[in-house]
Amino acid sequence: MSAFLTYLLNGLAVGCAIALIASGLVAIHRVTGVVNFAQGTFAVVAGLCTSSLLGLGVPHGVSEAAAVLLAGVAGLLTGLAAIGRPGTTPLSSLIITLGVGVLAYAVEIVLWGDQPRSAPGLAGSVTIAGARIQTQHLLVIAVTAATFVLLALFFGRTYLGKALTACASNPYAARVVGIDTRRMGLLAFALGGLLGGLAGVLITPLRPISFDTDVTLIVNAFAAAVFGALTRPVVALGGALLLGVAETMAAGYGYGSHQLEVALGLMLVVMIVQASRRSAIHEEAV
Amino acid sequence: MIDVTDLVVSYGTAIALDHVTLAVGKGEMVALLGPNGAGKSTLANTLAGLLTPASGTVSGTVRVEGRLALVPEGRQLFPDMSVADNLALGGWRSGQRDPAPVYELLPRLAELAGRRAGVLSGGEQQMVAVGRALMSRPQVLVVDELSLGLAPNITADLAAHLATLNREQGLAVLLIEQNARLAFELCSRAYVLESGQVRAEGACAELADDPRVASAYLGGAIT
Amino acid sequence: MKRIAAAALAVAVALGLPLVLDDSALAVYVLLGLAAIVTVGVSLLMGFAGQVSLGQGAFYGVGAYTAALLALNGFPPLLGLVAAPLMAAVFAVLIGMPLLRLRGHHLAFATLAVQLILLSLAGQLEFTGGDIGLQGIPQFGIGSWEMDSAAAYAWLTWAALGLVMLVTHHVIASRPGRALRALATSETAAASSGIPVGRYKLVVFALSAAFAGLAGGIYCFYTGYVAPGSFPVLISIQYIVMAVVGGLGTVWGALAGASAITLLVQGLDRLAALPGMPTYAPSVLSYAVYALVLIGVVLFLPQGLVPALTRRDRPGRRGRAS
Repeated sequence: MSAFLTYLLNGLAVGCAIALIASGLVAIHRVTGVVNFAQGTFAVVAGLCTSSLLGLGVPHGVSEAAAVLLAGVAGLLTGLAAIGRPGTTPLSSLIITLGVGVLAYAVEIVLWGDQPRSAPGLAGSVTIAGARIQTQHLLVIAVTAATFVLLALFFGRTYLGKALTACASNPYAARVVGIDTRRMGLLAFALGGLLGGLAGVLITPLRPISFDTDVTLIVNAFAAAVFGALTRPVVALGGALLLGVAETMAAGYGYGSHQLEVALGLMLVVMIVQASRRSAIHEEAV
Repeated sequence: MIDVTDLVVSYGTAIALDHVTLAVGKGEMVALLGPNGAGKSTLANTLAGLLTPASGTVSGTVRVEGRLALVPEGRQLFPDMSVADNLALGGWRSGQRDPAPVYELLPRLAELAGRRAGVLSGGEQQMVAVGRALMSRPQVLVVDELSLGLAPNITADLAAHLATLNREQGLAVLLIEQNARLAFELCSRAYVLESGQVRAEGACAELADDPRVASAYLGGAIT
Repeated sequence: MKRIAAAALAVAVALGLPLVLDDSALAVYVLLGLAAIVTVGVSLLMGFAGQVSLGQGAFYGVGAYTAALLALNGFPPLLGLVAAPLMAAVFAVLIGMPLLRLRGHHLAFATLAVQLILLSLAGQLEFTGGDIGLQGIPQFGIGSWEMDSAAAYAWLTWAALGLVMLVTHHVIASRPGRALRALATSETAAASSGIPVGRYKLVVFALSAAFAGLAGGIYCFYTGYVAPGSFPVLISIQYIVMAVVGGLGTVWGALAGASAITLLVQGLDRLAALPGMPTYAPSVLSYAVYALVLIGVVLFLPQGLVPALTRRDRPGRRGRAS
C-alpha cells in the first residue's frame, strides 16, 4: 500500500512537470493556432543551463530563475521565427518550430555536450502515511499548483491576460479592437518558454536531461494537451497527471521498459476517440 | 474624416474594390449601399487597417483623420467573455477600460454587464458591438450591417442611438447597409457600391428618386 | 517534346552514373535514391493532402523489417520486396483511418508516436532481434540470380525511384489528383464540391507509406542488416527537410531536395572529419544544416527550390485565408 502511495505521488510529480510543458503548448496553440514542436526544447535548455550555473557555484534560486528566463527568451525567439513573418500558415509554423528544435540540438551539443546532465535539487525526503517521497517531488507538485493558480488569475483577471484570451476566442475581433495578434502570439510563445523552462529546472534533479530528451517531453506534453483538445489547460493538467501516474505505475510494477508505449498508446487512443466524435468538415486542414 | 481616393484592393486575380473614391466629412453620417459581395466589408476592413499584406494587395490612398472604430459585420464579439470584458477590451486602443461612459449612452449594457456575450440575443449582441466600438472614443464609426438579422424595432432603437451620438457629439458615421430605407432615413448622403465600383452617389433624397436605386434597394417603392 | 527529352536525359544520367562512380560515391548514390523515394511520398502527402508525417521513418522501418524477416525465414527476396510497401501501406491505412479526420498536427504527432512505439518495440521484441536488430540478410535476387554489386543496387534503387515518380506523376495528373490540389488549400471547399476528402487523404497517406516501405525493403537487402538505430526520429525530419527544400507536391522537387540535402550533408561530413575538428562536429553540423535550411526555406522560399527555379504556379502554402 505504501509502495502504491509512493508511486502515486511520484507519478503526480512527473505528471505536474508534463502539465507545465503542456500548458505552454496550450497557451501557444490557443493564441496562435500553432502547435509548438520546440516546447520540449525549452525544458531541456533550462535544465542544462541550471545544471551549468549550479556547477559554477551560482546559488539555488538565482540559477533556476536565470534558466527559466533564458527559456522564456528561447520561447520568444522561437515565436519570432514561427509567426514573425506575416502570412505563415500554422502548418508552416509547425515545421519551423521543428527546425528550431533541431537547431537547438546543435547549440546544446556545442555548449553542453551530448551526455545527460543532472542538477542537485531539494535534498531529503518526507514520509506521508508510510510512503517515503523525495522532497523534490513535493516541490514539483507545489510549484505546479501555484503556477496553474497564477495562470488562471492571469488569463481570467488581468487586462493583458484577457487580451490574450480574446486572441484565442476570436482573432479577427481582437484585431478589430486594435489588439496586435502577432505581438500577443509572441507573448504566448515567451510564456510557453517560461512554462517549459520551469518544468525543465524542476525535473532536472529528478531525471538527467540530455539534448534529445525534448522528444519524450514534447510527445508526453502533446499527449496531455490532446486530452483538452489543445485548448483547455485544466483538462490538459488532468491528462498530464493521468499520464504521469500511469507511467510511474507501469515502471514501479515492473513494466518500466514499456513506459513510453503506455503514454503514446494512451495519446493515440484519445486522439482516435476524439476523431470519431468530430467531423472533418468543420475543420480546415492545418 | 475619411478620405478614400482611387482605392483598389485585389486578392490574387479577384478585384474586390475597383478605383473607389469616397469621403465622409466631419460630423457627417454617410451610407454605403450595395448587395452581397459588392466589396463593402473589404472597404470596412481596409478603413480599419485590418487587411494584412498577405491577404490582399492595396493601392490608392486611404486617409483617416482621428480615431476610427469598426462595428464589424456579424458583431464578432468574444462569446465566452462577459459583456463587461468585451467592452473593456474595446478600450484597448484608447486605454480607457472603464465602461461607465458607454453605460450612460446605452444603459441596457449596464444591466447585461455580467452576462456572457455569446448567450445574448442578436439585438443585445449588436448593442455590445456598438458599445465596444465606442469604448475606443472614436471620432469616426464604421458600422457594417447594423440591421443584419435583427427585428426592425431593435434596429430602429440602435439607429436612434447612433443618430443621437452623431447629433450631440459630432461622431462621423459610415453606415454600411443593405437596408436602404434605414440608411436613407439616417444619413444625408449615400454611395452605391456594386461589383467593387461606386455606381452612384449623392444626397439621399436624390438617390431615392433615382429609379435604378429605388428598384434595386427600395423594392420599387419610392419613399 | 522538350520535357520528354529532358526526362530521357535524366534517365540516361541516372542509369549511367553507377558505371563511373567509385564505391564510396555509389553508397551515397544508393542512399540518395532511397531518400528520394521516401521524399516523393512525403512531398505528395504535404503538398496535396496538407498533412505532415513526422514518422515517415516508421514506414521505412516497417518495410525494412518486413523484407528482412521474410528473407531470413527463407522466403524469396522478391516476395519480401513486394511485401515491404504493401505492409507499410496497410499499416498506414490502419492508423490513418481514424487520425486523418483530425487537424494536420494530430497526424504529425500520431506518426511520431507510432515511430517511437515501433522503435521501442523493435528494440525489445525477440523476433525483431532487439537492439542488435536482424543481421545476415541475404542479397536481393530473383531465382538463382543474386545481386552482389553496389552498382546493381544503385540500378534497383533508381529504377524504383523512377517507378515511384511515374506513379506520383500519374496521381497528380489524374482527376482525383487535381481534386486533391484543392485539398491542400481548403478542405472545406474541397468537401463542399463533392470530393471524398477523407478517402483521398487516406490513399495519399497509404501511397506515401508504400513508397517509404519500398525504400526500406531495398535498404535492408543493400546493407544486409536492420536495427532500430537505422530509423531514428531524425530520419523522418530529414525527409521533411528534403520535401520542403525541393518544393511540396512536385515530383522533381523531391528528387532535387533529396539530392541537395544528401550532398550538402556529405560535404559537411568531410569537413567535420578534418583534423582538429571536435568529435561532435559531424552531428552538430548536420543538425544545424537541417534546421537552418528548413527554417530558411519555409520562411523565404515557401514554394521550394524547383518551383522557384521554374517559376510555375504550384499549390504551395498561402497566407491564411481571411
